Amino acid sequence: MITCERLTKTFQSVTAIQDLSITIPDGCIFGLLGPNGAGKTTTMRMLSCLIQPTSGKAHIDSYEIGNKEDAQHIRKMIGLLPEVPGLYETLGAYKNLDFYAQLYGVPKKQREESIQTTLTNLDLWDRRDEPVGGFSKGMKQKIAIARALIHDPKYIFLDEPTASLDPMAAKVVREYILELKKKGNTILINTHNLSEAERICDSVALVKNRIVKVGNPKDLAKGLFTRTINITIKKIPSTLLKDIESFSLVSQAHVQGNQLILNVKNPEEDNPQIITWLLKQGLQIQFISEEEHSLEDVYLKLIEEAGQ
Amino acid sequence: MIRWKNAWIVMRKDLAEFKKQKFVIGSIVAMPIFLGVVLPLVMFVPMVTMVPLDRPWDINGLLEIGNLPDDATIPWTNKTIQNGSFDSTILNHTKIQNTSLTHCIIDSCILENTTIQDSTIQKSVLHDSILINVTVIRAEGASLDGRNILAISSDLRFIKTKPSEIDQVLPMMFNMILMIFIIVPATLPTIIATYSIVGEKNNRSLEPLLATPTTDGELLTGKIFSSFVPSMGATYLAFTLGVVLLDIVLIPKVGYPILPNLTWILSMLLLAPTACLMSVLACVLVSSKVSDVRAAQQLGGFVIMPVVLLMLGVLAGFIFLSPVMIFIFAGLYGALDVGLFLFAKAIFNREAILTKWS
Ligand SMILES: Nc1ncnc2c1ncn2[C@@H]1O[C@H](COP(=O)(O)OP(=O)(O)OP(=O)(O)O)[C@@H](O)[C@H]1O
Ligand SMILES: [Mg+2]
Repeated sequence: MITCERLTKTFQSVTAIQDLSITIPDGCIFGLLGPNGAGKTTTMRMLSCLIQPTSGKAHIDSYEIGNKEDAQHIRKMIGLLPEVPGLYETLGAYKNLDFYAQLYGVPKKQREESIQTTLTNLDLWDRRDEPVGGFSKGMKQKIAIARALIHDPKYIFLDEPTASLDPMAAKVVREYILELKKKGNTILINTHNLSEAERICDSVALVKNRIVKVGNPKDLAKGLFTRTINITIKKIPSTLLKDIESFSLVSQAHVQGNQLILNVKNPEEDNPQIITWLLKQGLQIQFISEEEHSLEDVYLKLIEEAGQ
Repeated sequence: MIRWKNAWIVMRKDLAEFKKQKFVIGSIVAMPIFLGVVLPLVMFVPMVTMVPLDRPWDINGLLEIGNLPDDATIPWTNKTIQNGSFDSTILNHTKIQNTSLTHCIIDSCILENTTIQDSTIQKSVLHDSILINVTVIRAEGASLDGRNILAISSDLRFIKTKPSEIDQVLPMMFNMILMIFIIVPATLPTIIATYSIVGEKNNRSLEPLLATPTTDGELLTGKIFSSFVPSMGATYLAFTLGVVLLDIVLIPKVGYPILPNLTWILSMLLLAPTACLMSVLACVLVSSKVSDVRAAQQLGGFVIMPVVLLMLGVLAGFIFLSPVMIFIFAGLYGALDVGLFLFAKAIFNREAILTKWS
């Protein structure tokens, strides 16, 4: 389990992240979501014992971040994919992975097997000795991800893992992340990719130099927006808008083509009454749906508010 | 506690990377060969061909001048004349083994396992000899440093004749060549070592590396050796080549392979590595504090100052590179090395290396 209590990091005059308090239970995929410069990478670096927190506390299992003796233990438990792959460009994929496997103390036989499996899966086994400098961005990213996992760490920190991958590759990575979760790994992901966060994260924290909101991506929208109902009507009379605005249950309404879009405070209770009223007006209703707020809407709204 | 295995892994990785940089390897190998081999040969070959071969050059006698008492009184002249019983033709270029010699003049001979008593020896090589009341005049070879002389009586005297010009110049040149082989390993690391940390920082491979459970000491040690090994390798390569070629050039004049002598061997085994290590350490130290490769290289250049000072001392004649002097300087450099390592380790700060960009 990872816990942060009021974790803060200040660089000279810039506060990268302030008072971050989150708990990441074992076996879950946690997303750190936020705009550029929100402090996601900084947070991940603190949790990887690469930089010291300015204040606040964080623990990984029973080990404390910032404690020099614990750092060794923490580093062993973590696999980190940094923002930039940072491979040794003149060396081959095999050497790159082997170097890290050795540093993490993976036994020789296991090392050879797992590198071969990994590179075969990545379709790179035949090119294992080619300098990776010549590989595409996405291929490098995949090798870097493989590097983070080479010692089978319990905690996996991925800083924008799919940022340079094509949709197919991104999907493969996402599926792989979900598989890792099934195996019991705990995964922390930094991302801008909201649909990705929505699809794979059990929990997300919206950050913008401080925490904006934490929760399940599906629940984040709750209470944030008045809810919007779309009603598609075969033919909308021009007077309808005026009539419906006098309806006390509707806070706002407008017409778009043959869609009537209504903001309703409590649709579970109010919708039946509204529909009944519409039918009474002799209108032919084709479709009724609630407009879903994506994480993107939530994100944009919250981040905008946080900026103010 | 340093886990040497981790340092070893880091070094092997660095060397693997290094192997791919053909141009860097080229310059690392070319520099010592040019300075330590080509340059000396260019100086020696004309000299060898121009100076007439009147007698063997007295190189070692002068090189070992520090071991000879300056007192060169002449009570021997009478003795020799009075007791000279060997015909010079017999004792010239003769090898004498397991013999006891009394009141002899021994000229240009090799004496092994021999007791020499009340005799005069000229231009000879002594092996495992016992010298009692002997005067040695310009004897050559490995004998005069005392290694092969089993016992020396208190009346032993060394006499040197007035050296010729070439005898004066040669030791200077030899010292210069030797200094090149000490300066070079102190210079080479500024090319490699400064790259080792700043380079990793700039190509962003430092972050995942620092996230591994390797300790500061292990990382530093690995980085130190990955600069030290190629620097010393190139130095030893050039040294071997230089010694062989110089011997080939000088054998016609001196009569035997004069290099490497004790001073040269000790210099290579003690002085060159400690000087090289000092430079490596200083470069690693600088490059963990600076974020630009060029700045690191320039700052790293300062660290060879103690080595340059030694060279100036040698060339100006203040310091004579005798074995004792080599031990003293190697000890000094070694102590500096230990201090520098501890200092580098103390100020090695993962966070600063990773996050400071100015
Ligand atoms: N080494 C540093 N020195 C000074 N300021 C820094 C440093 N690293 C980060 N910062 C500052 O801290 C803030 C957060 O940076 P961070 O890299 O953590 O953001 P991020 O959320 O990862 O952004 P992105 O999505 O662009 O990767 C930024 O304002 C940045 O300028
Ligand atoms: Mg980032």
